[in-house]
Amino acid sequence: MNVFPPQVWREKETLYRLIGGKCNCGNVIFPYSPVCNKCGSTSVSKIKLSGKGILLQYTVTYQHRPGFEKTQPTYVGLIKLQEGPEIIAPLTDVDEGELKEGDKVEAVIRRIKSDSNNGLIVYGTKFRLIKDGDK
Amino acid sequence: MPNVLISATSMIKIDRYYEYDLMDLATQAVVKLLEKTNENIKPDVVIFSNTYAEKTVSQVSLASKLCNNLGISAMPIRIENGDASGGAAVSTAYYLLKSGEIKSALIVGAEKMGDFPASYLNEIVSENLNEKYQEKVGLTTQSFSAIQMKEYMKKYGVTYDYFAQWPVYMHKYGSENPYAYLKFPVDLKTVKESQLVSDPLRIFDTAARADGASAILMTNEELGKKISENYVKVKAVGFSTSEFRIGEIPSVHGALKTLGDVKADLMEIHDSFSINAALILEEMGYPRGKSLDNLNEIPVNPSGGLKSRGYPGGATGIYQVSEITQQLLGVFPGHRISGNKGLVISTDELGTSAYTILLER
Repeated sequence: MNVFPPQVWREKETLYRLIGGKCNCGNVIFPYSPVCNKCGSTSVSKIKLSGKGILLQYTVTYQHRPGFEKTQPTYVGLIKLQEGPEIIAPLTDVDEGELKEGDKVEAVIRRIKSDSNNGLIVYGTKFRLIKDGDK
Repeated sequence: MPNVLISATSMIKIDRYYEYDLMDLATQAVVKLLEKTNENIKPDVVIFSNTYAEKTVSQVSLASKLCNNLGISAMPIRIENGDASGGAAVSTAYYLLKSGEIKSALIVGAEKMGDFPASYLNEIVSENLNEKYQEKVGLTTQSFSAIQMKEYMKKYGVTYDYFAQWPVYMHKYGSENPYAYLKFPVDLKTVKESQLVSDPLRIFDTAARADGASAILMTNEELGKKISENYVKVKAVGFSTSEFRIGEIPSVHGALKTLGDVKADLMEIHDSFSINAALILEEMGYPRGKSLDNLNEIPVNPSGGLKSRGYPGGATGIYQVSEITQQLLGVFPGHRISGNKGLVISTDELGTSAYTILLER
């Protein structure tokens, strides 16, 4: 068994809903934390991030962790989210050679991995390109 | 406050030891260390520096078990702060000794990474990523490093060849180090054509993950001088933390700043990736975007660094301190750099914490 339901369930706001924090100082944090990582204030409220962002940089990773064989190779991006934070996150639905810096991306829920013994599935947020013609 | 000395050091060759477990390796390092001391040492404190034991060998209570194996009773402490554990362990011992409450500390760094295939090692090292998101969605640290490289290439207009200079130098030095895991030289062509890990990061840019153990004995001056005439002084330690940031390693900057204005004759730095070597050197004041162009002029990593000497997780920082100590004493059995002051920069995989340790002959 390598998937333990409480460990995934408790992160549902981060993994499924992209909940971040917004401090009174204006700093936006992802994942959410009750303390601002810039000014140290505890005046941080929860906000739901739009999931829209710009791809600042990306890489194609050929090494993987056990359980991630099916998503090889993995595309990973440095994304500036609309609300401000820059995060490193997996990209999905990518065709070879189609990524470029400055592309618009959006969050989508995807299967992350499954437990080989009992079939439990972990879902989470990845990012995909917003292509011409998409809304 | 008492002066703090490093009174003895030992290392075993970094390698894949299928025949030995973690405690075997730690014990071997201690046995080698004890052979170098005049006195029968009963340390007040035993610190076990190790990062990944829960996952690699399913063990806890490492320091207690080591004490019991060695037949000594001491205050046992296991220190884990990612791959900066070694820096954390030495800094902790430094302050304990400075307090005057203890006279000696035995610090043993040991790690077992050689038993596993690459994918499981990626799983182990991904423990460095954040729990809520990065680790959960399957990321690896290599992707962070690759993105860091690409941003650097864009900012300074350099190509991959710029980074390839680092492993070439490290392997040149490491090929002389009897304790090195990858004890062979490589040329630029070999590096450039090596396996792509995460574009543009290649296998020679990453750290060579293997088993290792190194031990050091830290004492106050009075006891240290009885134990051995071959000692170095720990002049100062510094430390800082920061989040992973593109284009810089603020923790290294902070750790150097707490040390004050220091000119070291040689140094050992934590080059988990070639890009980290460049960023660390640049935090030290070497020119940004050019730090890897003049490696013949920079007295860095005569051990061969994490590329060639190898990377035994939380033991790495203890190796660095052992290496600089032996360099200052003129007994390091590999590539030598002479000098009276040596600097260790111990950081974790992505540079979110840094310790600086200044040693002086």
